[in-house]
Amino acid sequence: MKNLVAILIMSGLAWPAVASAAVTDFSVLEPMVVQEGGRQKPYFVFAEESLLAMSGRTGIETGDGRMDAMGVVTRMWFEPEEWIETPMLLVDHRPLKIEAGLDASRKHFSYQELARSEGLRALLVEAAAERSRDPSERLQGLLKEAADVGMRLAVFEGLANGSLFRVVPRAGGGAWRILPDGQPEFDAMRTAFFGGEQEAFDRAAQGLMRHLEEIAPGDRLSERLVALEIFYQKLHPFRWAWILYLASGIVLGVTWMKGRRFGYSAAWTLAVAGLGFQIFGFVCRVLISGRAPVTNMYESVIWVAFGTILFALVFEALNRSRFYLLGAIPVAVVSLILADTQPVALDPSITPLVPVLQSNFWLTTHVLTITLSYAAFALALGVAHIALGMVIAGRKPAQELYTYVYRALQVGVLLLASGTILGGVWANYSWGRFWDWDPKETWALVALLAYLFVLHGRVAGKWAGFGISVGAILAFQTIIMAWYGVNFVLGTGLHSYGFGTGGLPMAIGFVGFELLFTGVAIWRHVAGGKSAKPAPSKQVGTPITP
Amino acid sequence: MNSEVSSPPARPPEAARRALIAERRNNSLFWRVVHVFGSLKLALFLLAIIAVACAVATFYEAGFNAKVAQAHIYKAPWFLFWIGLLCVNLIAVTLTRWPWQKKHTGFIITHYGIVLLLIGAMIGSRMGFEGNVTLHKDSPPLNRITTSRSVIQIEGPVDTALYIRQFDAAVTRPSERRPRRFPVPGTAWTIVATDFSEDLTRDHSLQPSQSPADPPGVELTFTGAMAGEEGRRFQLAADGEAGEADFFGMARIRLLRELPERESAQVSETQMVFAGYAPVVEGRKADAGPEFRLSPDGKQLTVRTPEGVSATYNRAEIEGASVTAGEYAFVLREYWPDFEMRDGRPASASEEPNNPAALVQVFSGGGEAGLLLELAPSGPDRVAFQLSRGGTISANGEVAAGESFGTGWGDWVARLDAFHPKARLHSETRPVDADKGEEATGIPGFLAFLDTGDGVAGEPVWVESGAVTTLRAGDRFVRMGYGLELRPVPFSIRLLDFEVPRFEGTQTPSNYIATVEFRDPTTGERKTGQARMNHPASWPGGVWAHVTGINYKFSQAEWNPQDLGETTLQVLYDPGWLLKWIGSLAICIGITILFYWKPRSGTARVKS
Repeated sequence: MKNLVAILIMSGLAWPAVASAAVTDFSVLEPMVVQEGGRQKPYFVFAEESLLAMSGRTGIETGDGRMDAMGVVTRMWFEPEEWIETPMLLVDHRPLKIEAGLDASRKHFSYQELARSEGLRALLVEAAAERSRDPSERLQGLLKEAADVGMRLAVFEGLANGSLFRVVPRAGGGAWRILPDGQPEFDAMRTAFFGGEQEAFDRAAQGLMRHLEEIAPGDRLSERLVALEIFYQKLHPFRWAWILYLASGIVLGVTWMKGRRFGYSAAWTLAVAGLGFQIFGFVCRVLISGRAPVTNMYESVIWVAFGTILFALVFEALNRSRFYLLGAIPVAVVSLILADTQPVALDPSITPLVPVLQSNFWLTTHVLTITLSYAAFALALGVAHIALGMVIAGRKPAQELYTYVYRALQVGVLLLASGTILGGVWANYSWGRFWDWDPKETWALVALLAYLFVLHGRVAGKWAGFGISVGAILAFQTIIMAWYGVNFVLGTGLHSYGFGTGGLPMAIGFVGFELLFTGVAIWRHVAGGKSAKPAPSKQVGTPITP
Repeated sequence: MNSEVSSPPARPPEAARRALIAERRNNSLFWRVVHVFGSLKLALFLLAIIAVACAVATFYEAGFNAKVAQAHIYKAPWFLFWIGLLCVNLIAVTLTRWPWQKKHTGFIITHYGIVLLLIGAMIGSRMGFEGNVTLHKDSPPLNRITTSRSVIQIEGPVDTALYIRQFDAAVTRPSERRPRRFPVPGTAWTIVATDFSEDLTRDHSLQPSQSPADPPGVELTFTGAMAGEEGRRFQLAADGEAGEADFFGMARIRLLRELPERESAQVSETQMVFAGYAPVVEGRKADAGPEFRLSPDGKQLTVRTPEGVSATYNRAEIEGASVTAGEYAFVLREYWPDFEMRDGRPASASEEPNNPAALVQVFSGGGEAGLLLELAPSGPDRVAFQLSRGGTISANGEVAAGESFGTGWGDWVARLDAFHPKARLHSETRPVDADKGEEATGIPGFLAFLDTGDGVAGEPVWVESGAVTTLRAGDRFVRMGYGLELRPVPFSIRLLDFEVPRFEGTQTPSNYIATVEFRDPTTGERKTGQARMNHPASWPGGVWAHVTGINYKFSQAEWNPQDLGETTLQVLYDPGWLLKWIGSLAICIGITILFYWKPRSGTARVKS
């Protein structure tokens, strides 16, 4: 925050010309390579990620309409002093706003407002002291929230004082540098910017980029990867995926009574197209990052959505039942919408891996298998909801519906058991030990035991189709804990590279709703009398091929 | 599992088999017991109880720490009892299906897979061990490993031999109500532990004494901007450790019997260190001074003194700072990545490390490169002080109790509170008082007293981890220690090299690579291994050892950003690995068969 002084001084010395709004198109800079966050990325991605990191959005509202990230970040480069009073820094935690003496009804604040808050300053000092005392300890509560805001302030400062614009390459993988004072092309850009000459600006920017390309050509991101990353960043393939899945689900629902054949084919086509977008998105991320796409919460949520639809389509191909797809679509759509709209909790930016996760075969298989098991359980959850929904509605679900739940559970149990064991193999390979009761491991085991409990209860004749469906929903709560809770609630253990915050009310709401839903279903089931109880599970164990 | 229930309606042979099973169950006590232990009810109970215990344990762990959770739940006798019962249940349930048929294949493989896995785990935790070893690039080979087990060591008062007993106070937590007793070997005495603390601290108090052998002592208070109103107190007694104190890491304070003579700057030599050439040394005296080495990329500076003290630093982190190395201190004055002489002056041709060079100034004489305050008695009630900077006196004078003097260290002012010509420094260990805002120290320990069995109980004393404590009762005493157990291993290990590559353009490590050399002292066999992230080094290295896992694995655990020549490796020895591996494989294959393979011919054969 001491930089505020520097920025305020700078504003006094700033260029005398008042910027006319004539230079509005900065797209010429999109492919300029910037080094940030341990990797090289196109300027376009750098701009979106920086703004996302500061304000949780990729565009902000200004006096004259919405401005995109390229506009905001580039303008900050030329006229940082103009942004000090713009409310663009996200502070979302209510107690923090109260502690810092900020208006609790607002979400975004200007740098000046935050820098002047004594309360926030005190918290940041305390957080820094806490961290220097024990760097390995995670901050909690207010301090953690304050530190998050501190990070946003740091990004703002880095942009405002120019230190984040590291565009001058350096041979041998060293830290890139910012443009030196008086760099002629940049000065030309600046003159064009303040003079409002779009063409001159574009020419100067192209000159600058040519100049930068010549410095260390061997150590730069290739042009193809730059183009691919910009394309990926603009396309939002995962957004297209949920739109297509949603359309598929709507078609399936609308044609339930009439036009089933056509509706089913259309739903298939839409779902496959959505899956295609997801696969394309994964391929892009793998090419950009050079590793498997399941190393943070964002990627795993998207992967689960993918797996759920994939399993549903495989089962549909074998059974042509509609229920798989109908059960999978809400799960996939909700997860993808969450990933698309909650960038603070689920950060979509591509970052380098911490050493412990660096690419190796066991990691990839272990994580992919575990996450696919979550997907299979999510599919079981979706189909179980349909079955219990019918029970609540007073209708007796078809026996086959219960069979579908059971089959999805089988896939999940096989994958979860294998994935957990593969995790042990990886741990043994990487840390020399197979099992250490790490919370993530332990919760994977708890989830496995919960599902085994459900399956063994069926073998023991304690429950049948209805009980399996109730079990598929209740046991999924242990998956929520293993997947989300360990990283976001417990926050201890070796799997700490996946830790994050946010979304707790949503997770609690989900668990609460599920408990209520099953409770009502059980009540309706019992009230409905023995008649609703399905026949012994004869069909359940039949081979999945018809 | 499900094959039992979902099998086709009973055919005659199947009916006969069921009749056989039912009959032996009724007629034989053995089979009745097997059926009780192999019942699905027991299985459901165990699945539920283990799941709940594990879930609770993770919250318990978040509240305490992993070690306590492991000891109180995962490794507690009742948890192990349930795991054991689960094993029995798994075996018994397979027996109840005897004679096995083809359709049981998946069921049998899965259940025995789990049994194998659990047996492997049990062997691993009983016969294996876990520990760590801190290696230094220039240190001799080590053949001892610090295990993660806490022990107490008691020195036998009769034979002065060291007796070691396993005891983890953090886990057992002795209390008044549940004290722990340890017999003292060779006597009828016992050591009784009655309390535990995670954070112990030491209080020092200076007391005047009459004994002529005792050294002089002083009490000082420093006031300045950082200390607030109370100031910072120091109590020093000349001689040894108690005679020296650290002042916020920026200066040192020392009480001596006599002030040493200091004069002008004592720069003993200046070295120009090149990564590619031999150093150029100016002003070297007769005795050889420390040697410096700059890494080829110019990023690391290694110093080695004639006494064998050696350390490696990140160049960028120590530039301009005074660094102590044994008897010497040095300052890295300047650095040029691409050294050349321009206009008769050193300069850098570029920013690329083509010819890295550094200018190092060496100071001799106890590493007095920094700020130092030395005190010594100058009369019956007066103390002389001498302030120096880099070995040069900046101020000196004399004070009596109650008088103050400026230090020249920022705005700090020192006041002599008391001077004792003869004094003794008492130190007492006690738990920190969190209510008074004292910071946690992380040093655990327990409260113990010596019970000599004849009605004489000594004063309880806090036994601090990592220190030797003497317990007294009357005129009897016993010396004891508490800390992590050192375990000898049948080979030696030495660190050859340690590298920490970084992500491009950042200081974030992208890997940790330790190259170590193993040596078997009996056969003289040597092997070099590399411990990288996700890739442990192992010894012995043969194929057989690899497959069975009966070897010691060394993986990267910790590193020291201040000294890149040091690394801590985690050491694991797990003889149960092979069983765990086979069991795991069996579980995966078993479940696949169980769910997705239905024998057709199997039922047909039963039919025939």
